[in-house]
Amino acid sequence: MTSSKPSVHVVKALGEEPSFKVGDRVRISARYPIGHYRVPTYMRGKCGAVEFVIEPTAVNNEEEAFGRNAGKKGYYYRVGVPLAELWPGYTGPPQDRLIIEIFEGWLERT
Amino acid sequence: MTTDTHHHDHDHDHDHQHGPNPHHQDPKNVDTPPPGYYEIMEIAVRELLIEKKLIGPGEIRRQIEVLDSRTPALGAKVVARAWVDPEFKARLLANGRLACEREFGISFYDDTQLIVLENTDKIHNVVVCTLCSCYPRPVLGLPPDWYKAKPYRARVVKEPRAVLSEFGTEIPAEVEIRVNDSTAMLRYLVLPKRPVGTEDFSEEQLASLVTRDTMIGVVNVSLANKNTP
Amino acid sequence: MNSTANLVNRLPSDLGGLPAEPIQQIDHVLLPWEKRCHALADVLDFHKIINTEEKRRGVEQLGSEMVGKLTYYERWIVCFANLLFQKGLLTPEELALKMEEVEARHTTTPTA
Repeated sequence: MTSSKPSVHVVKALGEEPSFKVGDRVRISARYPIGHYRVPTYMRGKCGAVEFVIEPTAVNNEEEAFGRNAGKKGYYYRVGVPLAELWPGYTGPPQDRLIIEIFEGWLERT
Repeated sequence: MTTDTHHHDHDHDHDHQHGPNPHHQDPKNVDTPPPGYYEIMEIAVRELLIEKKLIGPGEIRRQIEVLDSRTPALGAKVVARAWVDPEFKARLLANGRLACEREFGISFYDDTQLIVLENTDKIHNVVVCTLCSCYPRPVLGLPPDWYKAKPYRARVVKEPRAVLSEFGTEIPAEVEIRVNDSTAMLRYLVLPKRPVGTEDFSEEQLASLVTRDTMIGVVNVSLANKNTP
Repeated sequence: MNSTANLVNRLPSDLGGLPAEPIQQIDHVLLPWEKRCHALADVLDFHKIINTEEKRRGVEQLGSEMVGKLTYYERWIVCFANLLFQKGLLTPEELALKMEEVEARHTTTPTA
């Protein structure tokens, strides 16, 4: 039994809407921070597709690591990348892939 | 798995090994080896935190009870229910944490979310945390040493089929492998495939087949593995 | 590029894709102090004295030699001490004195 959403007009705050949706092609930034990070080196600069938008928004874990238990929240996304694109000479089938959670600050639209 | 089942009427935590003579701070008990460097550090840090009233005196003991209550048997029950009840399975796949909390009373004390990944004839999921040791502890308990060690973390993202072979698991080429690397607030529980030949099994019998490693995704459930982790 | 940059910009825990040996399916029952150490991590997180991400960073900052040579919970307890010092909740002197005291409690006296 489905019900249609009532039609209302609201203005959303900045950052309330996720920037990416499932299926969007994204590139993981090729930057190399020192000190702390939560994006493994093997993912830097790789392109993949958004598979899942994680709700609700959450604090940037790379900032939380420096004792900020509160702060600006953002979206995390599950991004999928074929293993053949991650590893030159991957011998498995082309559909094999890796899926990883990435904070929005690391993602660029391609 | 050892559990601390005895109770004290003191209100601070003990630092001695629970050997044959568990008396309060008995330095002459030669049956208990003296604590090593890191254990001494742990005792000291804990006592200082309690003295400074940064943590309460019974909190560590209570949290040990929480940890001891979380074992792969919990996950196995969830898997067995998903196998027999398609509507529960749908709710589980939609929101793993909510389904576990509401329908099994499995609380998530660590602020993580749970995604349940269904293995099918076409897709095989395996879980890792390359950066540290993220693991669905509320529903599986503590992870095995090999999950936290370098070889698994380094290799499963690069050559998952070879790694699975080392566990005795061969995945046909037509089946897609998905390696799930945990890095943030999500935790993953693999819902393994139900083995053929279990159509008449009760939910309890089904649960007894589901081992920890099948819920990490390194092995499939088979009729041969009963209760070995 | 300076050849030591890799030591700086790749964390010792960032293992994905590195060459490694076959997996040994080892596991061990936690020693009582290890379990207390794990419980301590959870309690510190509940209080937001040391959150889980801080703990991860703290372990990384032990550096590759310690990360390689200390066991899992040994890394945690050293990391907690360091983070508590950084936050001004504990001093190295306090910890050293307390460790001396704890060690003295467990010194076995020779039997008569």
